Amino acid sequence: MPVKVLIVEDNPVARSFLSRVVRESFSDDLKITEVGDLRAARRAIGWSSGKPLPHEPYKLILLDLELPDGNGLELLTELTAYGATRIITTLYSDDEHLFPTLQHGADGYLLKEDRFEVLVEELQKIVRGQPPLSPAIARRLLIHFRSNSLSSEVASGGSAFVSSRTSSGHRSNAAIDHERLTPRESEVLTYLSKGFTIKEIANLMGIKWFTVNDHIKSIYKKLNVSSRAEAAVLASKQGLV
Amino acid sequence: MNSRSSADSDQALSVASPPLAELPRAPAADATKSSASILDDLNSAAAPWRGWRLRLLVLAALAGCLAILTLANWVGEQTRLDARWRADPTSRLELVSSGDPALRPFIGRRLLALTTANDRIVFDSAAALQAAPRWAVSDASRNALSTLHDRLHHAFSADWVSLEFDDGESVRAAPRPLGLASSSIGFWLTCSAVLMLYVVAVSVLLANPQPHTLLFALIASCQAANMGFLAVETALQWGFPPALTRFDAPWRSSFDLLTAAAVVHVTSIHPRRLPASQTLAGVAWAVALLSCVALFAGLLPQAWWWSQLTVALLAAASLALLTWSHRIEAHPYSLLLRTVGAMALTAWLTLSGIAVLAHRLPNLHVHFQAIGPMLWSMVFISLLLLIPFLSHSRVALREFSLVVGVSTFAAIFDLILVGFFAFGPLGSVTVTFFVSMGLYAGARHWLLDHLLGQRTLSTERMFEQLYRIAREVEVHPERAPVLLMQLLQDLFEPLEAGTVPSIVGEFAVVKAGGSALLVPANLADASGDQTGTSIVLRFAQRGRRLFNAEDAKFAERIVEQLRRAIAFDRAVEHGRVEERQRLAQDLHDDIGARLLTLMYQSKSPEMEEYVRHTLQDLKTLTRGLSTSDHQLSHAAAEWKTDLHQRLSAAGVVLSWECDYDRDVALSVVQWSALTRILRELVSNSITHARASRVDVTLHLSYSQLELRVSDNGMGHHPEKWSHGLGLGGVRKRTKQLGGQVTWLPLRPNGICCVVKMNDFAVGG
Repeated sequence: MPVKVLIVEDNPVARSFLSRVVRESFSDDLKITEVGDLRAARRAIGWSSGKPLPHEPYKLILLDLELPDGNGLELLTELTAYGATRIITTLYSDDEHLFPTLQHGADGYLLKEDRFEVLVEELQKIVRGQPPLSPAIARRLLIHFRSNSLSSEVASGGSAFVSSRTSSGHRSNAAIDHERLTPRESEVLTYLSKGFTIKEIANLMGIKWFTVNDHIKSIYKKLNVSSRAEAAVLASKQGLV
Repeated sequence: MNSRSSADSDQALSVASPPLAELPRAPAADATKSSASILDDLNSAAAPWRGWRLRLLVLAALAGCLAILTLANWVGEQTRLDARWRADPTSRLELVSSGDPALRPFIGRRLLALTTANDRIVFDSAAALQAAPRWAVSDASRNALSTLHDRLHHAFSADWVSLEFDDGESVRAAPRPLGLASSSIGFWLTCSAVLMLYVVAVSVLLANPQPHTLLFALIASCQAANMGFLAVETALQWGFPPALTRFDAPWRSSFDLLTAAAVVHVTSIHPRRLPASQTLAGVAWAVALLSCVALFAGLLPQAWWWSQLTVALLAAASLALLTWSHRIEAHPYSLLLRTVGAMALTAWLTLSGIAVLAHRLPNLHVHFQAIGPMLWSMVFISLLLLIPFLSHSRVALREFSLVVGVSTFAAIFDLILVGFFAFGPLGSVTVTFFVSMGLYAGARHWLLDHLLGQRTLSTERMFEQLYRIAREVEVHPERAPVLLMQLLQDLFEPLEAGTVPSIVGEFAVVKAGGSALLVPANLADASGDQTGTSIVLRFAQRGRRLFNAEDAKFAERIVEQLRRAIAFDRAVEHGRVEERQRLAQDLHDDIGARLLTLMYQSKSPEMEEYVRHTLQDLKTLTRGLSTSDHQLSHAAAEWKTDLHQRLSAAGVVLSWECDYDRDVALSVVQWSALTRILRELVSNSITHARASRVDVTLHLSYSQLELRVSDNGMGHHPEKWSHGLGLGGVRKRTKQLGGQVTWLPLRPNGICCVVKMNDFAVGG
């Protein structure tokens, strides 16, 4: 049974290039669907029409951010409960563009201008569970979790201190656990933000390479969960759920 | 001198000293205020003027009006001739006006004698018009005057008097009570001055019942009583009742003495309580009271000399006390009070001197007696009325003191002209007028230039400073209060300046009677934040000047201008950033997508690499455009990750070393230049030198940046390389940042590129 892959990319040349990358990366039997915009992507997934899901869902989705009929982020948000590995392919390498995608459940990102071999290797890594984490994004993550834990402390402490961020001040206690990084995870993030490689971090912390990688995966997950929890709280507040 | 200035600086440093901390609070609530002034509370509080204070004030004013009406009624009941007299240039009594039909034909004639049934008073001079015994210099002249008044009073009690005029004619007139309506305009004017002084005294006392306000009220009351005597004497003109004649001199002298003692007392406790103030005040009061008792008992020979000298000595003592007080604490109030006091003392001495002269010169005598005492009273009460308003308006103060000064001079000058040079009334007035106008113009100019102190900061420098601060606040918003304080310090040269946390008001306020100025320092936009910092300045112009309402307005305008300048800068910067981001976005999206297509379609790996390079350069460029600053630490982390990824993909080992003494913010130019230099050098090592190891070290210390990229590849003699290898770009960018680049061959193989930049952290 072939593994289904969806590539959402408006530039046909880039589309076929990415298709080659995917084929090169995996030895499995692949069934690659290429679409050029969000509408076609939604149709292919069968998500937006409300129809029951096809029996064989996509296992891997490569999603471009800049599409003719919208931003890839929209589709990413809609697919939060979809089981596929979601990878952003983009030209933007800055954290302003990439951080929101990770928050909305992307499992990793590929920079389209990288060389073919590099892309193949990166793609394999992401699918194996070794997502990339650039220093800039690590920095953003640190700030994100630090401010989260700060506001939840304020909420639990119940002091007279009035936080300006009322939305985060009234979290449910269940959400708070997911938003806190363990000290080790914070340490890993701090090293990453300073430009250390995973190998160097493993040496510095005296742990195994794959343990560092596990921490990174866990951070990804927590970010994802925290943003999902945030969305849920927001939705329940607005009476949507 | 040295010790004093160090004490000053100590004071300036102790920003949170108690007086400063107390300032923002409501002034009336706090009775322990160190340097509360009379007017601060009179004025600063709308609140105290409700309730019992206002009722008391109204009651007191009504009582004052009633007293004056009673006085006027008493004056109206006195029997006298319905006639006004004046001294003509030859010192004869001339009839000016009369309500009596019998006397009217004699207007303009000179009176020779006044006859009653049992007395005949011959007027060989106008001495009878010498209003009050108070200003009779010698005991003999005072006695003569008293006798004259007694005889006249006696004559007016008779049924008729016969008046003999210079052309031999005589007329009979009947003295009678003239009633309330008969009082002259002079009487009512004087009375209104008395009333005004009285009301100010009462309100100052009620607003802030304190020892020094009580003393102020006492001084004002004494002078009001003095004026009351003057008013009655103006109305009656001659022939005072015996009681008035007898007590005029001792009472009025006593009032002056008590005033002087109170002045000494008040200067010993205000604006600053002096050491041994009680002893000083006690001595002053003892001297004054003993003199008063002696005057009433008639124990003092030459009583006039005694009282004049005692008053002058006490006044001089109070001036000395003010000087001492200013030495101890450079409170501008003491300087101002000293100026006012010096004016009063000068007027006092001048008038006393002229009185002595007038005693010798009969011509001057009458004129002086007509104007002198009134002039003194007017000068003194104007100064008294001025004191509570000292801190309010500099312009009003300046103009007022000028007018008082010049009119005093004019009056004295007029007296001198008449007395010494025998000018006629019209001539003397004309000459006096022109001389005083000239004096006014000259004095005004001089005063503007020297006395009141120009702002030390020129307009150009102020603008320059304003904009410099606006720039600096843009970069370091937290420094705004400090910078604003510097500007205000340059403007006002205060002895002390500090910041206090306070509830932010919109307005700058003058506190503690002008010794302090409180300026809100909220330079940011009007955010909902209610707490902020205020700047407190104390003792303007190194303690030589009081702050006033204009200073507060000026400071407010300065803050407002600064706020605007900052908002403008922010808007400009915001627009610039937006524009750059839009440009970056367009470049990135359009050109980037095309380059990407080109890259995917390139026929050869070289071409592909070339386009990739271009694409990366484009990304660096757009990134630089859209982000305004990069911390060196952040940038270094990204460089390292980027290089690591590229080198490990090519199977090259990277050794990275980076240290800096200061984490500087790189400018866009610095960031993009360094990014591209690094990328260029590393790709050179990969593609041309085919190195297996690259060492990168980045050092920043004392603003000197050194970047070394060395490899173990096969490159040699790089200076002979062609420029097509991208090394031209490295040279160009290094030069752009004001640095040098050198290549060194390494043993056994490889090459090291050294990029050095001086003054890296400073500009860029």
